[in-house]
Amino acid sequence: MKNLIRILTVAIPLLALIGAASAQGQAPFQRGAPWSARTLELAEHLPVQDGGRIKPLSTYAAFTLLRLNGRRSVTTPAEEKLTPTEWLLDVLFVPAQAADYPVFMVSDMQAVEAIGVSVADKKKRDRYSMNELRPAVRKLFELARDYEQIEEKARSTVQNQVFGLATNVDSYLRLETHFDYARQDLDVSESAGLRRVFGADRARFSQVLAQMPALAALQRESRGDPARAADSKALDKLLQSANELTSGTESLALIPATGTLAAEPEWHSPADLFAHAFDQGGLAQPYIDELAAFEDTARNAGDPARFEQALEALHAKTVAAATVRGEYAKIGLEIGYYKADYITRSLAIFVLGFLLAAALWLFPRIKLLYWGANAAVAVATGLLIVAIVVRCMIRERPPVSTLYETVLFVTAVGAVLALVMERINRQRMGLSAAAILGVIGLFVANGYETLDKRDTMPQLVAVLDTNFWLATHVTAITIGYSAGMLAALLASVFLVSRLFGIKKGDPAYFKNLTRMTYGTLAFGLIFSVVGTILGGIWANESWGRFWGWDPKENGALLICLAQIFILHARMGGYVRDFGINMLAAFGGTVVGFSWFGVNLLGVGLHSYGFTSGIHTALWGYYLGQWGLMALAGGQYWIERVRADAARQALESQGRGATAPQVQ
Amino acid sequence: MRLLDKFANALSSLWLSCTLLVLLGLLTWLGTLEQVHTGLFEVQRKYFESLFLVHHAGPVPIPLPGATLVLGLLFVNLVLGGIVRIRKTGATAGILVTHVGILMLITAGFVKAYFSEDGQVTLYEGQRANAFESYHHWEIAITEQLPSGELREVVAGQSQFDGAGPGRSALLRSSDLPFEIEVARFIPNCGVLPKGPMVTTTVPVVDGYFLQSRPLETQNEQNVAGAYVALVEKQGATRKEGILWGGSRAPWTVESGGRKYGVELRRERWVMPFTVALEEFTKEDHPRMMMPKSFSSDVTVVEKGSQRPVKISMNEPLRQEGLVLYQASWGPANARPGEPLFSTLAVVRNPADQYPLYSCIVIAVGLLMHFSRKLFKHIRAEAQRAP
Repeated sequence: MKNLIRILTVAIPLLALIGAASAQGQAPFQRGAPWSARTLELAEHLPVQDGGRIKPLSTYAAFTLLRLNGRRSVTTPAEEKLTPTEWLLDVLFVPAQAADYPVFMVSDMQAVEAIGVSVADKKKRDRYSMNELRPAVRKLFELARDYEQIEEKARSTVQNQVFGLATNVDSYLRLETHFDYARQDLDVSESAGLRRVFGADRARFSQVLAQMPALAALQRESRGDPARAADSKALDKLLQSANELTSGTESLALIPATGTLAAEPEWHSPADLFAHAFDQGGLAQPYIDELAAFEDTARNAGDPARFEQALEALHAKTVAAATVRGEYAKIGLEIGYYKADYITRSLAIFVLGFLLAAALWLFPRIKLLYWGANAAVAVATGLLIVAIVVRCMIRERPPVSTLYETVLFVTAVGAVLALVMERINRQRMGLSAAAILGVIGLFVANGYETLDKRDTMPQLVAVLDTNFWLATHVTAITIGYSAGMLAALLASVFLVSRLFGIKKGDPAYFKNLTRMTYGTLAFGLIFSVVGTILGGIWANESWGRFWGWDPKENGALLICLAQIFILHARMGGYVRDFGINMLAAFGGTVVGFSWFGVNLLGVGLHSYGFTSGIHTALWGYYLGQWGLMALAGGQYWIERVRADAARQALESQGRGATAPQVQ
Repeated sequence: MRLLDKFANALSSLWLSCTLLVLLGLLTWLGTLEQVHTGLFEVQRKYFESLFLVHHAGPVPIPLPGATLVLGLLFVNLVLGGIVRIRKTGATAGILVTHVGILMLITAGFVKAYFSEDGQVTLYEGQRANAFESYHHWEIAITEQLPSGELREVVAGQSQFDGAGPGRSALLRSSDLPFEIEVARFIPNCGVLPKGPMVTTTVPVVDGYFLQSRPLETQNEQNVAGAYVALVEKQGATRKEGILWGGSRAPWTVESGGRKYGVELRRERWVMPFTVALEEFTKEDHPRMMMPKSFSSDVTVVEKGSQRPVKISMNEPLRQEGLVLYQASWGPANARPGEPLFSTLAVVRNPADQYPLYSCIVIAVGLLMHFSRKLFKHIRAEAQRAP
């Protein structure tokens, strides 16, 4: 949160700047037609350093829009539906037009009312444009700064909304004014000395930086010389204006560093370059060329053909610089990953597989249905695996290093396991389980991404920066989660079937399900136990203790204990088919606690990936699973009481006939 | 004999295993949730390092066995039931191996709990040290400078004066000293305050100062202990009272028999068989972010005249002569570029350091043996059923 104080205090001066921009009478560009395909392609492929890594501008645009708008598209007042890159181009290069797009999602209109914006003909949950909010921005930042003093937990919903809106408006204002430096000329007409340096009355920002040595000389000459007071004053004013033009540009680093990757890891924003030029009395030519290329692009935003041409030159320059540093190799792959949209497609095909599998239970004899469902689920699983592999290639990491990736991996492993079981017994249960798991898992993955609103390929903190332990411990423990969830799903199918009398006359159905539950648990136990111990060994390597009773460690131990308990209780004959499935269903909630629940406690060394929306979803799952157990348990108990009564009745009649048994 | 048999049967039963597993799970769960309210250190003491405890579920007190007791019983249960009494056939070979691995793991836990030392050494760049300090335990050290210039130390660990209070003072004595130290009161977390005219205290005031007790911090390493002590001459009955405080910069100096001694309450300290010198601490952030990318300490290890450079970083500790040094922390957090930094290295001596790795391998082999056997049997059965 400290970050935000800084951000907000920087943002206030920005407002003055916005006023200045319009006062100078810059002709606001308008975009008459959609951006050309080539323009979009070039823009998408522009690299940007954000979140500690180099990513395509399209990824940056997508997550920025997701944060503001709650989805990855925006509909303009002219009913034009824009992709994130189209939207970002508009905000950066035709800001006057983009300011009318409703991109600020506000869940509760009270937050907007609080800053004095009219909410007439708005819904409670609705979107607002920058222009609608602009008159109230000062008030918004004032309130946000007040609420910042309140501890996060103590803030009301509306206060949090206001706070979130302020953060979003702040980042929007930074984008909107980012290219002010590139669009505007600086006035150098007021002094003879400046005019001589530039040979004109007006100068571009890049020219000012290029002339920094001459300006420094001018400063030396004119300082203290009363005859040249005008030069000195005009120079101060020029430098101040140039500085102001770049304020707020720090958040977008589009300019590759010229040094090697190891010596100079940080890319640059215009603000950095100005400070650098000012301190050093000059700036390397590649930076000046790069700034000039941005200027050419921004100044041609009104003319599609020339804009494309300028962007082409800018793109070539930037890509060349990034390529030399070895930072461009993964850009195409990442654009391809998001273009292919594996996750959504996989989800759609899982849904198809689920529908076919459901139909199969109604018409079990149709072979075509069986193979169709199998094919759909296999293709969906395959797509998901491709997605995971591509992510590994982009990140140069093992499959799981963030909470988001655990969801993808758990789903993929669970689906593969279930399909393998289907191959073994061909009873349709594995197939159906794979389809259900795929649908739920990818639905959760998408939900998580939308709630979290942050890049799902982030950089990792120091302790996680070890591919060896990520590949061994994290992978093993995640496979353990996967098996635990699949076992809980199979067990739930068992309990639901029993509850509603499905397959009542088919004991083999229940026997098979139990066998699958047991097999999955056994498989999971190996990975849970090995994964948990490996986690301890990793902790011993990084913190000096094998076990510290940290919540995440405890969660992993709980999974192991639950699975060990089930196997021993079965071995001891304390539970049979029904009991094993009840326990496995409960085991699902133990996995849920370990996977997400302990992160919500907010204590310990592992509380990463906190997202408030998870809380609701997790409790939904707990209650659903326990509710099912309670119902099934209740039914089981009633049946037993009845069976006992019947047996006693029979015995008291002195007949040796067999009494009804409960499975 | 029959009673003994029954007892052995009960100890080796699967029923006991299941009960213990449930209890351990319950303790783990409660101990996890409790961490939100009390710190990890307190939770460990109450739930995991105890024999018995009373858990308060709202107003309802629930007596429970502590994790140490449960794990101890589980160990016995596992040895008797899981190894001695289990049927030994091909079908149980994998289970046996797994059980051996689990026993190794529990053993590692007990060895770590009772035979390990852990603490830290904090060094500024350019500093060196040959000892490390405990995070949690205190000791009283009496130092005497010998005529040769060497220092001779007599040290009493916290267990010798823990719990000292009114009516229960602890006496520290040594044949090397002409006096005894009486610890009248030991306060686990306190500060030193001057006794002004408006202040009333319930504790003694020594030389115008007193120790003000404070509630325990949830992070135990933030507690600073203090003690009221008195020096009692072995010859004659002179008695001199003093205050020791863990945060003080210099020891309490006393004279006895014409010689000078320093008395000090400090964190328990262990000498290392080598010296580490911090050359440079490096902290790297991800570009344009405040997120740490790596921490590392370039140290020189000096031992018996020879020295070698070592880089200690996250996930890559230094292992030397039974000690392991880890990159644990650094500071000052608000240091400006160019200002000297300090690095905190966690130091652990754990005889069971590598046991978990061995047990992990044993357990993995055991489980694979057992379940792959079952899986193949099952697949064969399915294949015969299907044709």
